[in-house]
Amino acid sequence: MGKLRTEEFQVNMGPQHPSTHGVCRLLLTMDGEKVVDVVPHVGYLHRSIEKICENRTYAMCIPVLDRFEYVTAMSCNYVFALAAEKLAEMEVPERAEYLRVIMLELNRIASHLIFYGTTAMDVGALTPFLYGLRERELIVDLFEMTCGQRLTYNYIRVGGVSRDIPKEFVPKCREAVKIIGEKLSDYEGILNENPIWIARMKGIGLTDPQKAIAWGVSGPVLRAAGVKHDLRKDDPYSIYNKFDFDVAIRWNGDCYDRYLVRLDEIRQSLKIITQALDGLPEGDVRAKVKAKFKPPAGEVYVRIENSRGEMGVHLVSDGSTKPLRVKTRGGSFNQLQYLPEIVRGKGYLIADLVAIFATFDIILPEVDR
Amino acid sequence: MPLVLMSLELIEIFRWAYGLLAELGLPPVWVMLISYGVIGVLMFGVLALLALFLVWWERKVAGHVQQRFGPMRNGWHGWYQTIADAIKLLQKEDVDIIARDKFVFFWAPVLCFVAAFLAYICIPFGKDLIVADLNIGILYIMAVTTFTVIALLMAGWGSNNKYALFGGMRSAAQAISYEVPMVASILTVIIYAGSLSMVDIVQSQNSFFGWFICRMPFGPIAFVTYIIAATAEANRAPFDIPEAEQELVAGFNIEYSGMKFAMFFLAEFINLFTVSAIAVTLFLGGWEGPWLPSWLWFLLKTLGIVFLLMMFRWTYPRLRVDQLMEFAWKFLVPVTFANLILAATMKYLGWYW
Amino acid sequence: MGLYKDIKNLLLGMKITGKHLGRHAVTIQYPEEKWTMPERSRGIVVLLSDKETGELNCTGCLLCMRACPSAAIRIDAPRGEDKKRHVKKFDINFGICCFCGLCEEACNFCAIRMAPKYEFSTENKDDLTWDMHKLQEMGRDVDYVDTRKKKIPKPKPAIEEKPASETKPAEVKPDTPKQEENND
Repeated sequence: MGKLRTEEFQVNMGPQHPSTHGVCRLLLTMDGEKVVDVVPHVGYLHRSIEKICENRTYAMCIPVLDRFEYVTAMSCNYVFALAAEKLAEMEVPERAEYLRVIMLELNRIASHLIFYGTTAMDVGALTPFLYGLRERELIVDLFEMTCGQRLTYNYIRVGGVSRDIPKEFVPKCREAVKIIGEKLSDYEGILNENPIWIARMKGIGLTDPQKAIAWGVSGPVLRAAGVKHDLRKDDPYSIYNKFDFDVAIRWNGDCYDRYLVRLDEIRQSLKIITQALDGLPEGDVRAKVKAKFKPPAGEVYVRIENSRGEMGVHLVSDGSTKPLRVKTRGGSFNQLQYLPEIVRGKGYLIADLVAIFATFDIILPEVDR
Repeated sequence: MPLVLMSLELIEIFRWAYGLLAELGLPPVWVMLISYGVIGVLMFGVLALLALFLVWWERKVAGHVQQRFGPMRNGWHGWYQTIADAIKLLQKEDVDIIARDKFVFFWAPVLCFVAAFLAYICIPFGKDLIVADLNIGILYIMAVTTFTVIALLMAGWGSNNKYALFGGMRSAAQAISYEVPMVASILTVIIYAGSLSMVDIVQSQNSFFGWFICRMPFGPIAFVTYIIAATAEANRAPFDIPEAEQELVAGFNIEYSGMKFAMFFLAEFINLFTVSAIAVTLFLGGWEGPWLPSWLWFLLKTLGIVFLLMMFRWTYPRLRVDQLMEFAWKFLVPVTFANLILAATMKYLGWYW
Repeated sequence: MGLYKDIKNLLLGMKITGKHLGRHAVTIQYPEEKWTMPERSRGIVVLLSDKETGELNCTGCLLCMRACPSAAIRIDAPRGEDKKRHVKKFDINFGICCFCGLCEEACNFCAIRMAPKYEFSTENKDDLTWDMHKLQEMGRDVDYVDTRKKKIPKPKPAIEEKPASETKPAEVKPDTPKQEENND
C-alpha cells in the first residue's frame, strides 16, 4: 500500500496576524500542519523613508529615521549622525560619545526586553511579556527624562547629542541597571529551564553559519550560530574599544540559542553602561556645527551593531544641505529573506515557524522602510 | 458563626420549597414538572453567572500576576465588567460570512454551550445537593463532555476558514488523546470507590486521609495526571492549541462574532469549572469538610483547582501540537495505566486503607 | 532524573508568577491618576507669551517653519508698514506633527516650545489644526527661561539670528546650532 497522499494547500499568515510582528505576509504552503514552504511578502509598511530623507536637510533626516526602526530609534539616529560626521570629518566631544554609548546600550536592552516578551508571547507564555515591558519602562523613562520622547527620540544629532542629560539621570540610570540585573534571574527562572520552553525552542530553526553569512544575516542570529561577529568589537565605532565586554555567543544556532544570546547581551550591555557611567567625562555635548550643515561631496557607508544585526547607512552627498541619497540597511531584512531557507523542507510545524520568526526578532518597519 | 454557616445547607431551602409545592395539592406530575423546571432555570442561571465570575476572576488573576490591575472600571474592582461584556456581545452584529456551512456554523456554538451544561446534572454541589444521582454518574459526565469536541470540530469545519479548520482538527485530536489518560486516572478512583455514582464516590472518601489524593502512592499520581489531562480537555494553556492565538489567530472561533462567540467563550469557562468540579469530587473529597456547609466546601475546593489551572495558563508556554500528542501517548497513557495496574493490584491484595 | 528536574523547573515558574500575585501593580489608573511627565517631555507644541506684556514672543521669523521636517507649521507673517513682521496666522497641524522638537531648537526668541502636556485627541481631524490663539493659551502656564535680549531690535527677517546668537541659551539647550534658511 502506497503512502497516503495529502494535498498541499496555501495559507496566508498575515498581513494581519498576531505573531508576524507588524504587517508581514507569509504565504505558507502547508501539508496538514507541516510547513512545506514559506514566501515572505514584504512592503506593507513601506513609507519611503529613504526618499523622504533625500528631500530633507541633515537635521530633519534624523526624526524621519527615528521611524526607520522604532524599537531602537537611538541606533537609527546614531548611524545617520555617524555617516554625516564621517562625511564632514567632524570631531565629536568625548562626553557626547559617552552619552551616545549609554543611550545605544540602554536602547539595546530595551529592544531585547521587547524581544524577550514577544518571543515568550509567541510561544504562548503571556506573562513574561509584561515583565519585559515593565523593565523597559525604566529605560524609556530615562530617555524621556533626557530627550523628551519615549519612542522616537531624535536625540543623537550630527556632531553630538541634542542636549545634556539632566542631573538625576546618572543615579536613576544606575538604579535601572541594578533593577534590570536583578530581574534577569526572574526572566531566566520563568522560561530558561522550563521543559515546555526547551521543547519548543531547542533544535528548532537551525541556522547554518556559512549560509547565514552568505545571506547577509548578522547580529544575534549569526552569533547564536557560532560566528563571533560583533561590529562593536570587529569594526569599533564610537568609543566601544574603551569598554571591557564580551561578545555573547552560542553555537547551536537554534531558537533557544538565539534567545540565550540576547539575554547574555543584556548582561554585557549592562556592563558597558556601568563602565560608561563611571567614566563619564564633563564637557560639551555637541560639536560646533555650522548653521547650514553642508558636508563635502562624497559618499560614505557606516555600519553599527544594532540589536537586530548590522545597521548601516549609505550616504551620498553632493555638497548641498540635503543628502543626495540615503540608503539604509537593517538586519531584519536579510533575516527575513533567510527565513524560507531554514524552514523549507524541514517539516517544521506552523508553531515552529512562529517561534523561528519570533527569535529572528524581525521588525517590519526595518524591513519595509 | 460556624453554627450559623452550618445551618446554611442549601438543600434545606430546596426541601422547604418542595414541601410548600407539595402542599398545594397539585397533581404529582405537575409538582415534578414545576420542580424540575425551577431547578433547570436555577442551574442555568447559576452556571452562567459562575462562568461570568470565572472570566472576571481570570482577568483579575492575570492582571495581578502581571502586576497590572485587571478590570477596575465597572463597580468595585470591575465586578460587573464581564456582565457588561456579555451585554455588549449580545448587542453586537452577528456577522454572517457567505462561504460558511450554514447549518454546522449555526449549531456549533449552541451544541458547545449545551454540552457544557449537561455535565452538571450529576455533579454533587453539596450533601444531597445533586440534580440526579445517576448510578453511572462519572461515565455520563465523560460521555457528554465529549460533545464539546464535536462542537469545536463543527465550528472549525463550518467556518470554511483554514485557521478555524486547523483549530477544529487540533481540538479533536487533542480531546481524543487526552480522554484516554483522563479515563484511566478516573478508573483508579472508581476501583476504590466501587461505584460510578458521584455521590457514592464522595461518600467513600469521608475523612481527610480518605480523600483519594491522600491514598499513597497511586492517589497523587492519578490526581496529577487527571489535572494535566483535564487542562487539555478544557483547552486551557499550556494545552490551548485549538485556539492558539499566536499560531491560529483564534482557532475554531475565528469567524464567530457577537453572541455566538460569547457562547464559545462561556462554554470554555463552564468546562473549566466542570473539570475542576470533577477533580474535587473524585480526588478531594467533594463536599466533605468540617465547620462549613457542604456546598461552600465544594465551591472553595473547586475554585482552588480553577485557580491552579489559571496559574498554569499565565505561567507556561504552549506545547506544540505534536509534542502534545507525544506527551499524551508516550508519557501520560503509560503512567496512568501503570498507576491503574498498581492501584488494582493493591486493591486486590488489600494493601490500602 | 530528567523528570524531577522538569517538575522542579515547572514549579519554579509557578513560584515566580505566584510571587508577583501579591505585589502592587506597576500600572496606573489613567484618567484618575495621572503620570507627571518630565519637564523635557515633548508633549505638545505651544507658543510662549512674554511674561510681562502677555504678548506672543513670536517675531514671525519663520525659522521653525523651515526647521519642521513634516511641514506641520504654517505661518503667515507679512511685513507691516513699520517693516516689522506681524504674525497674522500661526497654525500647527498636530495631525502631521512628528513631535521631534526641531522647531523648539530652531527658535531663538523663546517663542515656540514643546510642553509636557498631552490629552489632545479630538473626534474631528480638522480640530487637530490649532491656531495661534489656542497655541498661546496652551502656553500661558508653561514656565521658561527668557533668553532673549530685553530690547529686541527691529527684527530683520531672514537674518534674524544675529542678536540672538550672542545670548547663550545656557540651561535649556546648550549649543543649539543656529539654523537659518536650511530649507528653501
